[in-house]
Amino acid sequence: METLKRLVLRNRYTLLLTVILAYVGVIVIEGTLTGREARVFDLENPYFDINIDQEYLRSRANR
Amino acid sequence: MNSFQINVFYTLLKREMWEHRLLFVGAPLVLALLILVAILWIALQPGAGFLADALRQADLAFEGLPVLQLAPFLFWAGLPFIILLYVCCIIYLLSTLYQDRKDSSIFFWQSMPVSNCTTVMSKVVTVCAVAPLATVFVLFILFCLAAMLIAVFGVAWDLEYVSYWRAVAASLVTLMLIYLSAVMSSLWLLPTIGWFLLFSAFARSVPLLWAIGAAVLIGFLEDMIFSTQYLGNWVQSRSNFNQYILFEFQEIPAKVFNYDMMIGIALGSLLIAGATYMRRFID
Repeated sequence: METLKRLVLRNRYTLLLTVILAYVGVIVIEGTLTGREARVFDLENPYFDINIDQEYLRSRANR
Repeated sequence: MNSFQINVFYTLLKREMWEHRLLFVGAPLVLALLILVAILWIALQPGAGFLADALRQADLAFEGLPVLQLAPFLFWAGLPFIILLYVCCIIYLLSTLYQDRKDSSIFFWQSMPVSNCTTVMSKVVTVCAVAPLATVFVLFILFCLAAMLIAVFGVAWDLEYVSYWRAVAASLVTLMLIYLSAVMSSLWLLPTIGWFLLFSAFARSVPLLWAIGAAVLIGFLEDMIFSTQYLGNWVQSRSNFNQYILFEFQEIPAKVFNYDMMIGIALGSLLIAGATYMRRFID
């Protein structure tokens, strides 16, 4: 425990990293348990859609 | 907590208000002054008859409404002050611990019988409870002056108010609602307060960029590596004003004692603890 404390409080960067990791970890665990996670930002462009011929894709896969 | 510790904490609160009086008292006073000047300027225009009509219409609309139902209408008059309070609080949170290190006053305060925990807690209490009190006090002065102006206009334009005193009573209830809303939003946004304090204690320069940059970077990395958006969803779940703005007193228990509020307070406390430990590292 003492070693861990010394490691965390070694310098400002280790402390910041530990706090942020703990914070994000709790958010992820809480989000998983409560089903909070959702797609907030949709990074796909709805105005741009590639419709590739399925035959062509199959031919590429069997090449 | 003994009387000495209470006195120390009270002194720290006074110090925060004294050092940031322009932010917490000056800024709302200037806004109140601007609003008063704008009202006077409109009222003194030659074609200000519409203002008399508006007052008459408002008086008729408010007639018969109980004070508690009238208060939410007046709440909107305080909205610019609430927004200003949020802006001032963000500036304060980002600069307070950073400024302590920059002007080396941290050495003085650490030589005093004041722990880092007490100092950071005094800053949190300043944002959560004391700064809203200053805003409400300025609003009280504005409401008193506005009530006087409306009475003077009533005499000048020969208006007969039916619900004047009820509106005055409602404005006092509104002040209470505004204060409670500000306290409630501070508790609800405690993770944000903790985040800003953490980076205020950490950054060697530009804490604002560090705080925003780190949040954006973590969200971006999460989406890129794990293809999830827990962090973005967490931020979004804290961004709805309806969750912490109060229009009725009956809403208080439901809004305070719920799971989302508790998890927010727990995570905010984690970040505030991080900010407290961060004060060990002085440049």
